[in-house]
Amino acid sequence: MPTTIHNEAAVAGIGQTAYSKKSGVSELSLATEAVRKAIDDAGLRPSDVDGLVTYTMDSSDEVEVARTVGIGDMTFWSKVNYGGGAAVGLVAHAAMAVATGMAKNVVVYRALNGRSGQRMGQGVSGQIISSDLIHWSWYMPFGLLTPASWIALQAKLYMEKYGATSEHLAHIAITQRMHAQNNPNAAMRGKPMTMDDYMNARMICEPLRLFDCCQEDDGGCALLITSAERAKDMKQKPAVIRAVTQASFEGQEQMTSFYREDLAALPEMELAAKIIYEQSGLGAKDIDAACLYDAFTPEILMQLEAFGFCGKGEAKDFVTADSLTLGGALPNNTHGGLLSEAYLHGVNNLAEGVRLIRGTSCNQPEGVDHVLVTSGVGVPTGAVIFGQV
Amino acid sequence: MTKTFKASELTIGQELPPLDLKITATLVAGGALASRDYTPVHHDRDAAVAQGLPDMFMNILTTQGLCSRYVTDWAGVDAVVTRVRTKLGGPNMPGDLLKLRGKVVAKSEKSVDVEVAGNNAWGNHVTATFTLALPA
Amino acid sequence: MNENDKKAFETQLRTFVGRPIGPPMTGRDPVNEPMIRQWCDAMGETHPAYLDAKAAKGTIHGEIKAPPTMLQAWVMEGWEMHEGYDEPKNEQHRLHKFLADHGYTGVLGTNTEENYTRYLRLGEQVTAETVIAEISDEKATGRGIGYFITTRTSFVNEKGEDIGSMSFRVLRYKPPAEAASAGGGAGKDGKSAAVAAKPTRIKPPMGQDNAWWWEKVAKENVLPIQRCTGCGKLRHPPRPMCDACGSQKWDSIAASGRGTIHTFTVIHYPQFPGYDYPIVSIIVDLEEGERMASTLVECKPEQVAIGMPVELLIHTDEDGFKIPFFRPAK
Repeated sequence: MPTTIHNEAAVAGIGQTAYSKKSGVSELSLATEAVRKAIDDAGLRPSDVDGLVTYTMDSSDEVEVARTVGIGDMTFWSKVNYGGGAAVGLVAHAAMAVATGMAKNVVVYRALNGRSGQRMGQGVSGQIISSDLIHWSWYMPFGLLTPASWIALQAKLYMEKYGATSEHLAHIAITQRMHAQNNPNAAMRGKPMTMDDYMNARMICEPLRLFDCCQEDDGGCALLITSAERAKDMKQKPAVIRAVTQASFEGQEQMTSFYREDLAALPEMELAAKIIYEQSGLGAKDIDAACLYDAFTPEILMQLEAFGFCGKGEAKDFVTADSLTLGGALPNNTHGGLLSEAYLHGVNNLAEGVRLIRGTSCNQPEGVDHVLVTSGVGVPTGAVIFGQV
Repeated sequence: MTKTFKASELTIGQELPPLDLKITATLVAGGALASRDYTPVHHDRDAAVAQGLPDMFMNILTTQGLCSRYVTDWAGVDAVVTRVRTKLGGPNMPGDLLKLRGKVVAKSEKSVDVEVAGNNAWGNHVTATFTLALPA
Repeated sequence: MNENDKKAFETQLRTFVGRPIGPPMTGRDPVNEPMIRQWCDAMGETHPAYLDAKAAKGTIHGEIKAPPTMLQAWVMEGWEMHEGYDEPKNEQHRLHKFLADHGYTGVLGTNTEENYTRYLRLGEQVTAETVIAEISDEKATGRGIGYFITTRTSFVNEKGEDIGSMSFRVLRYKPPAEAASAGGGAGKDGKSAAVAAKPTRIKPPMGQDNAWWWEKVAKENVLPIQRCTGCGKLRHPPRPMCDACGSQKWDSIAASGRGTIHTFTVIHYPQFPGYDYPIVSIIVDLEEGERMASTLVECKPEQVAIGMPVELLIHTDEDGFKIPFFRPAK
């Protein structure tokens, strides 16, 4: 039995549907298409899969997916809570299952009609997404109803404390938009953005303008996770899970951790960083590329600091040095991310992390040995490092 | 309403004094009939209720007329409205308080754009951008 | 609709684009003072150029002119409109019926743009010609999937001189299934007969851990802070156990109402019914040491600042709901 998850499991397959503003099909249809493609990508048959993991927010139950895809017997399934914070958690649960023998091949998935159906940007204004009604009662009557409004409160303080400006946020949005121009599956392909486009877009929740906020899309995305040993004999080059963790910090709330001492930091991400660096024996200097969760641009600044790519308050200088571009110190969200590829709740960022290890990104930097991928910001979250065999 | 602003006297971001209008059935019906719009939902409560609304509601022409008055009362008699673009929102009904707020959003040598937001308890009723020709 | 039906539907839909909705419409009466005065009564207009020939002379307008936004009123059908119509009378009606027959029963005006070439003089006779200018691709909208239809109208006077133009955009949409079935008895045209209530802010869902707090706000006009009776630690938002000593016993104190802004945002979009936008949302450091989310009122958005002292204000909504807000400290 392993004593840590280090190098025990690997991603052997990825699958995704087209991303669109109106899929015209059910979420189950999107989920099963993505799952089937991940299985095919790994060179396996549906009957080889014996575990499934998804989000508590996902509408496609494991057994419905299994029946539809033709997955037979299952010995492991689970659902991870907290919206986009679940993304890396899916990988963590699946990795634990394959490392301990609970299951051999686990597919993790997320599928949503996030534009034509229930829109995340509408927050908790309509049907309450979360079971935690009482929690939202402290925010809804005051009009704090959307993810943008919750993140804006934290972003405002961060920017004031460290002197970050709209130009710094724009740098992030524009860089990711640039990356999306090479990605045939990106919603924002063919729509490059200038500083003027960014500045002239309407204010959503100060300081967040329209293009500081991610898309809303329809689509499905899935990864197949197996043991690192078995992955070596499968069709694709494996992305080995060097380290993975979930992370929730003292005083954590879902999107509203307003009661902690320093609102200009992400202590749950600092916790995740500490754990994955310890698990892997790696440090920030060893990370060659990243897919940092990017529902809103200020989240990138705060994560760069949490994961030690720069000091506290220095992220603004890090991004203006073009560090997040292909030739930079840390190419980030090379597919366009949630801002410019699609909002698949972070699972598409995991898929890009795998492609970066395989060497098949639409914007592949050279010599990528280690990729950091994170999940939701402002929520209980997680981080993973993918590496080469 | 006396002096008319010159475009050069105005700055982008400058705000108009706010105007709150109490919406009555008389105003909704009176506005509709003054614009020769006899569609029943604008003067007949029962007809509006039959369509799923709580009450008769203001027609677009009345909304535009009220916004136009708000803007030209501020800008002065020699201001000339050359264009109005409106984005329509929720209904405006008897019992509502329509809050008109305006600000200068663009300017050139001889004209300005004034954006008027009209909000009531339902949320945004209208956002109207008026282009005004002004003395240079 | 299967794929072939959908194709046939789309093809037929596109045939409407570019069609005039019918022959040009000429207004019943030329531009005249009684109609202008009636308009000014309703709008509360006192503009001299619309109402007073003598005063108009002293303005750039030089004579009585019609208010610009009356343009369309000169060609409205008037009394006839109240009867509605069973059979479509023009191409615009036919287009709307065609969409309604295919399930796009919802209709919502979304945008207008009017250009006024000049203000109209008394005696001018207005004629309007309207064309179906654009039909969008099928779009997913907040209301449901549907098509945006844009009509363009050009206005001329009796000499054929251009006096203005208008474009009007409406959304024709398929109401989501749950909305249609929840509506109860349907009216004769399939529209729901259910009466919507006037929207109010979203009320806090109440449970055992929070209802007492809102009730205290409502009954005592105070801002309560929960206090552990074991160790005296204050906590907000309220929870059922003290994280310091483990006691499940608690009472509450009334906050002094003084505090400072820890951080804030100004919310512009999206806008939900029942709220006044923009909303200045704040996180307040209460004098007692606890923090809470609230709303800042009586302050312009551009004057809010981190560190600003604020004071409590129990706000009462039209429906009687009480909520603790803050305003700049006096």
